[in-house]
Amino acid sequence: MAIGTEAGRVTRRGTTVALWRLAWRNLWRQRRRTQLLVVVVAYATLAIIFLWGFIDGFMNGMLASQGRLVAAPVLVTTSAYHDDPDPLHPLPSLAPLERAALAQPGVRHVAPRLEFGALLRSPYTSEGVMARGVDPAREASVSAIPAYVTQGRMLAGPGEIVLGKGVADRLDSRLGERVAIDASAAGGPRSLGLRVVGIVDSGTPVVDDATALVDLADARRLSGVSTATGLALDVPRGRESSVAAALQSELPAGVHAYPVEQLIGQLARAVGWGRVEVTVLGVVFSLFAAITVTSTVVVSVLERSREFGVMVALGLDQARLSTLVTLESVYASVLGWLAGSIVGFALLWLFSVWNVFGPLFSGLYGSLLSGISLPSELYTIVRPEYLLYAAVTIALAALFAVLAPARRVRRLRPAEAMRSE
Amino acid sequence: MTHTRFVPRHIARDARTLLVALALIVGLPTTGSLAVRAHAQAAPDDAQAVLDHVIDNLRGLSERATLELSVERPGRTVHYRMDVVSDGNERSLVRVTEPPQQAGEAFLSIGNNLLVYSPRLGRSLRLPPSGRSNAFLGSDLSYDDLAGGEYREQYDATITSRDADTITLELVPKPEAPTPYGKLVFVVKSASYAPVSLTFFDQRGNAVKRLTFSDFQDVQGRTIPQHFEVVDLLREGYRTTASYQDAQFGIAVPERCFSEAALERGCF
Repeated sequence: MAIGTEAGRVTRRGTTVALWRLAWRNLWRQRRRTQLLVVVVAYATLAIIFLWGFIDGFMNGMLASQGRLVAAPVLVTTSAYHDDPDPLHPLPSLAPLERAALAQPGVRHVAPRLEFGALLRSPYTSEGVMARGVDPAREASVSAIPAYVTQGRMLAGPGEIVLGKGVADRLDSRLGERVAIDASAAGGPRSLGLRVVGIVDSGTPVVDDATALVDLADARRLSGVSTATGLALDVPRGRESSVAAALQSELPAGVHAYPVEQLIGQLARAVGWGRVEVTVLGVVFSLFAAITVTSTVVVSVLERSREFGVMVALGLDQARLSTLVTLESVYASVLGWLAGSIVGFALLWLFSVWNVFGPLFSGLYGSLLSGISLPSELYTIVRPEYLLYAAVTIALAALFAVLAPARRVRRLRPAEAMRSE
Repeated sequence: MTHTRFVPRHIARDARTLLVALALIVGLPTTGSLAVRAHAQAAPDDAQAVLDHVIDNLRGLSERATLELSVERPGRTVHYRMDVVSDGNERSLVRVTEPPQQAGEAFLSIGNNLLVYSPRLGRSLRLPPSGRSNAFLGSDLSYDDLAGGEYREQYDATITSRDADTITLELVPKPEAPTPYGKLVFVVKSASYAPVSLTFFDQRGNAVKRLTFSDFQDVQGRTIPQHFEVVDLLREGYRTTASYQDAQFGIAVPERCFSEAALERGCF
């Protein structure tokens, strides 16, 4: 009995191997049909891989771009200030933190910032803002805002202020005019008169409607803080989180390094939702590709009814025949997946080092999408997990093959099938 | 700074309107008092000296009065009545008595600090800087507009005209002066230095609002305007008027009037 069982297993294994071989051979018996299947799956795979790489690159570019406008690549500040942005929670000292930051690999520049709530007054109205005290000589190394001073110039020293276009419009303040700025310091209310020397027009509402840059010395006079509320760091794109994590061990208790993703939480969450939407889109794409593969296989099964009838008549049971059809679908899908992956990753790599999309999108859609400030540099991202996302097509193709063409084969009546043309 | 976030919106809104009264109240006795001391002095030729005489008279005259305030806007007018007490220097207390929905609200100004009491909340709150300097929706003048003590520090004065009746002073902000105005034009009576009008100009040479003093009366030997009018020159129909009733100057004001307890319960 045992010998018989073993012999049965060997027979089944042999039959299975034979089925795999037969399925592979069948692919090349109908080259045109196979090529069609491979091309469909390859196209879907390529599209999914490129879609993910492009979307991730776009999101990253936008995040980095917005991060440099709204916050900084990395910001060192007290956790108390991060939770409650009030200058009553400043950095304890600046020099040691600057030394620690600059000693960290990846940190290219540092610049202190002192942010405080203030009231700007013109002769016509007043406007509450979160003013940012900066070192004019260093701010441009950590922020994109100075590059967007489209009227006038960036701060040169105390007694000056740079306003966002929206703020200036609402105050009706022009270049060369003075605005009064009031702030509550620990020692009581303080005021200054500052001359408007520059207008920021970045195209990003959150920047243009809120920016008020003043010299760090003026910010200290107004806020009563002798240090700063934060230390902005310039680090290479894509290394914000790793540099912040590495720097954290060098910082004193109560002081934290926050990467840009944590500094612009709302946008980061929006990017997260964007990925969810892209996931849905990718699944739909895979679904259509799998349906195309399945419909091609269904047509193929109809065309091969006579062949299948003969095979069943010669002793191949219908369960194995349906497995054969499924295997053919899987083989074609895997081949298409491989081909699409190679081409897809090649394209992703090409556009990850060649900034084609940045100028292209800025030129085509810059004015249309001014609200999100398209990044000038837009590179695709290359991630291995895209292979898995694209493999969903194969899984779906196999599933549909089992559900439709293979099921049809199982119901095949050999006598009728052999009579069909 | 954190406290500013907890000022409820309706308190801030009411405060905006009532701060006009506060501004006027603080400004009135001082501008009135300048007529008193300057009157006894020889007329100075130097503009800064004239301004100094004005500012010198801004201090030291205590008062207790009732103020009636009307804030006019296109299609509506809001009337307020309030009790005022001031030590004549940097401290004043204002308590609203009418209209009923605002009665009990009070403002205590001590130097640069401004506190507001809300009977609805049953607590006092420190106002943000806007409490002193905002050109509020419900008013035409801010506290800082009439904080005369800052004119000397923030402006350079020149006499632009002088005749038998009036002297016209032009006040131009010093560099970094915390004022958004391009200049102020202050007209005072030549004989008594009683204020006639104060006009605020933007930095493009346009007059944006004008404060006019009238109904001068001699009170305890001093020439003090009893009626005030603030007109927004950029928006038609925006006007604020204030009139003193039963003003008593030079009285002894108890220290308890300038405490948070007085802010909540009054001191008389």
